[in-house]
Amino acid sequence: MSKEETFKLLSDAVVSCKKDAVVAAVEKAKSEGIEPAEIIEKGLASGMNDVGIMFERGKLFLPHVMMAAGAMEAGVKLLEADMPKDAAKKKLAVIVNGTVEGDVHDIGKSIVSTMLQSSGFEVHDLGRDVPLQDFIDKVKETGASMVGMSALMTTTLPGQREVIEMLKEQGLRDKVKVMVGGAPATQTWADKIGADCYAENASEAVARAKELLL
Amino acid sequence: MTTEHMLRMGDGKRVYLTKEQILTDLRDGMADAVDLGDIPELSGDELDKLMDIITMPSRMVGVEAGMEVPVTHDIGTIRLDGDQGNSGVGIPSSRLVGCMVHERAFGADTMELGHIDYSYKPVKPVIAQEMQTMEVCQQNMVIPLLYGAMPNMGLYYTPDGPFENPGDLMKAFKIQEAQESMEHAAKHLTRDIVWIMQRMMASGADGVNFDTIGAAGDGDMYASLHAIEALRKQYPDMYIEAGMAGELMLGLHGEMAYDGTVLAGLWPHQQAPLVAKAGANIFGPVVNTNTSKSFAWNLGRAVTFIKAAVKASSIPCHVNMGMGVGGIPMLETPTIDAVSRASKAMVELAGVDGI
Repeated sequence: MSKEETFKLLSDAVVSCKKDAVVAAVEKAKSEGIEPAEIIEKGLASGMNDVGIMFERGKLFLPHVMMAAGAMEAGVKLLEADMPKDAAKKKLAVIVNGTVEGDVHDIGKSIVSTMLQSSGFEVHDLGRDVPLQDFIDKVKETGASMVGMSALMTTTLPGQREVIEMLKEQGLRDKVKVMVGGAPATQTWADKIGADCYAENASEAVARAKELLL
Repeated sequence: MTTEHMLRMGDGKRVYLTKEQILTDLRDGMADAVDLGDIPELSGDELDKLMDIITMPSRMVGVEAGMEVPVTHDIGTIRLDGDQGNSGVGIPSSRLVGCMVHERAFGADTMELGHIDYSYKPVKPVIAQEMQTMEVCQQNMVIPLLYGAMPNMGLYYTPDGPFENPGDLMKAFKIQEAQESMEHAAKHLTRDIVWIMQRMMASGADGVNFDTIGAAGDGDMYASLHAIEALRKQYPDMYIEAGMAGELMLGLHGEMAYDGTVLAGLWPHQQAPLVAKAGANIFGPVVNTNTSKSFAWNLGRAVTFIKAAVKASSIPCHVNMGMGVGGIPMLETPTIDAVSRASKAMVELAGVDGI
């Protein structure tokens, strides 16, 4: 089997969302002498990228994304022993994510958290109906370089602006990027309140986070 | 100087676009629907007609004579009485008055009695009040009066219900447990809807409106389809209106199926046959509005989706038109310029049987 075929096998195994398939594909790639970093980047991560695209198009859903992420994690675990120390645990950046106070919508924000995690970010998901001060406290605690805020109602949307103001008051605004999202949020709204970016969906959130943080 | 036409963005903001810009947006919106739903494009004539509707100079427009369709209202019973917290206008009035005003003054062709909590589960403890109100309304009205509420399966999960919240379980990577929780919740939801409707039918209801099927994902649709099936079996002549929550059936479970079809990932034209198979009389398809795109983009997309749904449906389609659906901008009180144009397009181009 050529290297390209093995990468395709790894990628397809992740898309299948089956842990057994991913583990078998990783074992096969290892036995062919492919470097762990290549197995992850060109095989598993590529598959996870496909999962993201299929998710965006409504072909796969949250449980599938979770299963695919779990399967990928099992595959990466098999490679950890062969990787340089700390390389396996290194995260791209730290992100605090949550749905602002007064808003109990959870699903979209959770999907964004999962997709960011699957893409290599360390995500601290504060949940829904999060008191605005908690965003600030968590940024301080974790040293996060990005705050993601979701709001699904026009009445809770101003919470995003308030957190930005609170970041300014605490002298944190220059150190932290702000991403906003949710059905009533738009690019115009993001510009108006001085957020760094607006993401329409989970895949876009990952792309924007990578653009701003990497 | 090029003539510009006043349109709205999906969030309601006014924008001024040229005919060329409108046509580009119409085509892009249509292409998005074609791509996602794997459905046919609109013809050149249909795009021209959409352009005519959008650029009509009148503040509001109407359908051509002879093309009128029935309109029905969901939460209308409490729209007069409700304050701004629920889109109401704050005029003190009973639900009976709300229903009668819609029938006699607003021209509603069918109407729905709904409770302020507007989900089936919270109706259980107030069922006697609902039965009495239904009976009184029926004694005073002529048009079909359905009982309506949201299936809203989310109310069966903690902290509101007995089953563990699948969102929390998924965060802990307990996917199988999350799926089991949804299956348990679906069974309870089916049982509750049937129980409530048995009592409302005993009080003279003409039928039931399922408002926002699938709001809690594919389990919500699974439970609703089974409730429709059970009600149709018990009441062969009742009206059953099955309105959807969104354009795409979200797969929170991912593997639930009805009549051999996996529910996750279904678009309106794929939902229609299942709703008919379960026994509904009316299918209420939904297309969501993108707040960052123009009215033209959203309308091109919505008409393309709904036209395909109408074609695939063996039962009448009453499209959902309102805040954030059917091409209409997402505003608490949608503007008449957008509402009337989107409605005209849905009737004259998508061929809907009602709104």
